[in-house]
Amino acid sequence: MIVEAGAFALILALALSIAQVVLSAAGRIRRSAPLAGAGEGAALAAFAAVAMAFAALMHAFVVSDFSVANVAANSHTAKPLLYRVAGTWGSHEGSMLLWCLALTGFGAAAVGLGGSLPRGLRALTVATQGVLGTVFLAYTVLASNPLVRVLTPPVEGRSLNPLLQDPALAIHPPFLYAGYVGMSVVFSLAVAALIEGRIDAAWSRWVRPWALAAWSLLTVGITLGAFWAYYELGWGGWWFWDPVENASFMPWLVATALLHSAVVTEKRGALAGWTVFLALSAFTFSMLGAFLVRSGVLTSVHAFAVDPKRGVLLLIILGVTSGLAFTLFAWRAPSLGQGGLFAPISRESALVLNNILLAAATATVLLGTLYPLIREAMSGESISVGPPYFNLTFTPLMAALAVLLPAGPLLAWKRGDARGVAQRLWAAVLVAVALALLVVAITSPHKAFAAAGVGLGGWLVVGALVELLERTRAFRAPAAETWHRLTGLPRGAWGMTFAHLGLGVFIMGAVFETSWKVEAAETLPRGGGLDIGAYHVTLDDVRPVAGPNYDADRGTISVTRAGKPVCQVAPERRLYTVGGETTSEVGLCYRGASHIYIVLGERRDSGAQPAWLVRAYWNPWASLIFLGPVIMALGGLISLSDRRLRLGVGRRREPAA
Amino acid sequence: MLLFWAVAGILTAAAAGLILMRAAGASAEAAVVDPAPALYRRQLGEIDDLAERGLMGDAERAAAHAEAGRRLLAATDSPAEVWNANPRARRFVLLVLAAAPALALGLYLNVGSPGTADQPYARRLAAWQRSDLASLNPPEIAAVLRQATSERPNEAEGFRLLGLAESASQNPIAAVRALRRAAQIAPERPDIWLMLGQAQVAAAGGKASEAQGAFARALQLVPGDPTARYFLAGAKADAGRTAEAVADLTALAAEFPAGDDRRAQVQAAIARLQGQPAAATPDAAADPGQLAMIQGMVAGLAARLATKPDDPDGWVRLVRAYAVLGDTTKRDAAYATAHAKYAKAPQVLEQLDEAAKAEAQGLTR
Repeated sequence: MIVEAGAFALILALALSIAQVVLSAAGRIRRSAPLAGAGEGAALAAFAAVAMAFAALMHAFVVSDFSVANVAANSHTAKPLLYRVAGTWGSHEGSMLLWCLALTGFGAAAVGLGGSLPRGLRALTVATQGVLGTVFLAYTVLASNPLVRVLTPPVEGRSLNPLLQDPALAIHPPFLYAGYVGMSVVFSLAVAALIEGRIDAAWSRWVRPWALAAWSLLTVGITLGAFWAYYELGWGGWWFWDPVENASFMPWLVATALLHSAVVTEKRGALAGWTVFLALSAFTFSMLGAFLVRSGVLTSVHAFAVDPKRGVLLLIILGVTSGLAFTLFAWRAPSLGQGGLFAPISRESALVLNNILLAAATATVLLGTLYPLIREAMSGESISVGPPYFNLTFTPLMAALAVLLPAGPLLAWKRGDARGVAQRLWAAVLVAVALALLVVAITSPHKAFAAAGVGLGGWLVVGALVELLERTRAFRAPAAETWHRLTGLPRGAWGMTFAHLGLGVFIMGAVFETSWKVEAAETLPRGGGLDIGAYHVTLDDVRPVAGPNYDADRGTISVTRAGKPVCQVAPERRLYTVGGETTSEVGLCYRGASHIYIVLGERRDSGAQPAWLVRAYWNPWASLIFLGPVIMALGGLISLSDRRLRLGVGRRREPAA
Repeated sequence: MLLFWAVAGILTAAAAGLILMRAAGASAEAAVVDPAPALYRRQLGEIDDLAERGLMGDAERAAAHAEAGRRLLAATDSPAEVWNANPRARRFVLLVLAAAPALALGLYLNVGSPGTADQPYARRLAAWQRSDLASLNPPEIAAVLRQATSERPNEAEGFRLLGLAESASQNPIAAVRALRRAAQIAPERPDIWLMLGQAQVAAAGGKASEAQGAFARALQLVPGDPTARYFLAGAKADAGRTAEAVADLTALAAEFPAGDDRRAQVQAAIARLQGQPAAATPDAAADPGQLAMIQGMVAGLAARLATKPDDPDGWVRLVRAYAVLGDTTKRDAAYATAHAKYAKAPQVLEQLDEAAKAEAQGLTR
C-alpha cells in the first residue's frame, strides 16, 4: 500500500504542478490575488506530494521490497542500512525523483520565502518553476518511474554499484542536486523578470540569495565528489577532467560569474542583461549536466544510470526549456536599461573582467567536454579530451583570474585608484614571491612554474587578508577602532573574504599536490617494503575479513620515516559477493596537510609466496585541495546569513485595508 | 486496497485544502504595494550605516547615495501594480481543483499498479521459512539458509548447505563465502574443503590456483583423495607447469580401474594438456555440472557488463574467462570493447593483456 500511495502521490504532484502553472499564470494575467495564491498553494502541495513519493521509495529500499523494480535492480538485503537509504538516489529513476524533490522543494521555498517579491514577479516565478516541475515530473512519471512494480519479485536484489557504497558518495548527490536545482529558482526569477520587463537592482538583490545558496551547495557537492574520487577510485587523483565532473563544474563556474555580476547589477544597476543571461545559463548547464551524466553519449569513469533512449528525452527537455528562455531573452534584452556608468579602472570593471575570464573558462570546459561528441558525430572517430587540453586552456585563464583577483575588492566603485591598490598590495606581492622562492628552494625536483602557482595561491590568501586589514584600518588606526570596524563588517564582506581565501588555499594545495606527488608501486610479500619520498612503507600482513556484503583482503601496512614509526593504515581490497565487483578502500595516513595514500592491489603470487601489488602515493598538501572549497562554501553560507539578504525581510504584515 | 484509496483521497483533499487556504490568504492581502521602494530605502540606510562605521569614503557615499536615491524615485514613480481579489477567481480555482485529481487518477490507473500489495523482504522470508523446502527454488532456499546461519553462526552444516544453495543459484562468490565459513567452523571435514575448492574454481572462472589451499587441506585429511589431486594438478597446469601436471594426472588415471568414467575424464584432461583434441569426452567431463555452472557465471558476468559496463575488473575477468574457456571469438570481442573503453587507463590495459594471454590450458574448462 505504501508503494502505491507513493506512486499515486508522484502522479498527483505532476497534476499539481500543472495546476501551479495554470493558476499562477492566470493569476498574473488577470492580476488576481486569489489565483496567484492558489498557484502558490499548488506549489507547496506538489512539494509535499513528491516528498511523500520519495519517502515511499526510500521505505521500499529500507525494507527491501523487491516488488518495486527499481529496488530489485539497485538494492540487496545484505547491504548496510545507510546504502539501502542511499540506493534511493543511486539509480537513474531514483536520482530523477531526487531531482524532482529538489525542484519542487525550491519551488516551495520560493513561495515560502518570496514574500518580499513584487506580486507579478512572484506569480511568474512560481509559474516558471511550475513549468520546470511539470516537465521533469512528467519525464519521471512516464519515462523514468522509480515506483514501477514487478509481478514476480526476485528473491534478491541486484545490489548497488559498490563504488557508490561509500559515505561520501551517499551524501554527495543530495548536495549536488540541491546545488544544480537551486539554480532553477534563479532561472525562474530571470524568466519572470524578462516577462515583467523589470530587471533592476532590486531584482538582483532578490536573485542573489538563491544563487548564493545554490552555489554553496554545489561547492560542497562537487568537493564531496572529488574527495570520493580521491579515496574510493584508488587512482591517487581527485579530478580527472571527466565529462561527469565537467558537467558539475560548468554550472559552478557560471554561478560564480553570476554571483559577481549580480553584485554589479545590485549596486550600480549595470550589467542587467548579462546577469540575466548568466541566470538562465546556470540552470541550463545544470540540465546539460543531468543529460550528459545519464545519456551515455560520453564515456566516463563514473557515468552512472546511463540510458541513451531516455537521454534523448532529457535533451529535448533541455532544448525546449532553455531554448524558450533564451528566445525570451533575445526578445526582451534590448529593452533593458543600461544602468550606471563606470571607469575602465573600477570595481565594476574588475568584476566584468572576472566574468569574462569565468565565461571563457566555462567555454573551454564546454568545448573540451563536447568536442569528443562532435568529433564522433562528424567523423565517427572516438577520442577523449584529457588533462593536457585543460591544462593549456583552462589553467591560464584561471591563473589570470587569480592574478587579478586581490585587486578587485580593493578598487572603489565607479572609479578606482590603480596606484593606491598597488601600494596596498605590495605586502601581498612580497609574501607571494617569498612563498614561491621558498617552495623552489625546499622542493625537489625544482619546478619554477609550479612554485609560481603555489605563490599565486599565497597571493590570493594574503590578498584576501590585506583587503580585510584595509577595511578595518588595522595597524593604522587604534585597536579599538579596528575592532569596531571588524565587528561592523557586513557578513557579505566576510563571505567574500572567506571565498577568496578558500580559493587561494585550494590553488596552493592543487598545484603542490599535482606537481610534487610521488608514486611507487611494487609487488610485495608479507614483510616486504617500498620507499615513497622520505617514508618507508611495509606490508606487515594481509588477512581476509568479512564485511556485511563483501569479503575483503585487509592489509596492515606501517609507515616509517628514518626508522621511526609514523602511522599504520589498513587498506582493503573488497570483493562484493553479489555482483563480483572489486573495489579498493584506500589507506590514508595524514601528515599535516599531506597524505600518504596506500592502495592494496590484487594478489600476485610470486612462486609459492603470496604477494600483493601495493601502490603508494605521497600527496603533499592534499588536504588543502578539499579544505579550500569547504572554506569557500562557508563563505557562501556566511554571506547568505547577511541580514541585507535575509529573505522575507520587508514582507508586508499589515492587514488589507 | 480500501486503505490505499483512503490515503489517496486524504492526500488529494489535503492538497486541495492547502490551495484553497493560500487562495483565501492571498485575497486578504490583495492590496499589497510594490516592495521595491522599501528595498531601495533599506539600501540607502545600509549605505549610511556603512559610512558611519567608516567602511565607506565620503565621496563614494555621496555617489552611492545619489544613485540609490534615483532608483528609489524611479521605483516610487512607476505605476503600482493593481491586484484584485475578484471572487470570480474562486470558480476557476475550483475548476482546476476538480481537474487536477481527475488527471492524477486517470494517469495513475494507467501507469500505476492499483491493488498491488507491498512485499517487504522480511515478510516474504517469513513465508518461505514456513513453507516446505521442496517447494522453494534455490535462491529462496539460500535466503532461508542465510537467515538460519545468521541465527546459528557456529553450525558448519548450515553454511555447507548454504554453499550448495548459493552454487545452485549461480552465485559462486557467495558460495565460496559460505563454504569458507563452514571450513572455518569444521576444519576437520574434508567434504567441506573439497566443496570450497570447487566453488573457488567456479568463482575464478575455471582457474584452480586460488583453490589450491582448500584442496591441499582436503588431501591432508584424506591422503590420496582423487578430486583434490585432480584439481591440484590443474593448478599446476594453470601455473604453466604442464609436465608436472601431466605426470600427476597420469598417476591418478592409473589408480582408476579401466572402464571407470573418472579414468576417461582424467585421460581427456591429459590429452588436452598435451595439445591433442579431446573429441572423445565432453568438456564437462571434469566435473559434471561444473561447465554449466561456469558458463552460467560467465554469461552472467557478460550480461552484467552489458548493462553496467563500468567495471574494469569485471572486464578483465570476462576476458580471462573466455580465454580460459578457449572461446577466442568472444575473448577478442570482449578484449576490443574493454580496450577501447579503458584506453586511458594503462593499469587496466596491462591486466587485460595479461588476461587475454591466459590460454585454454586449465583442466577445469
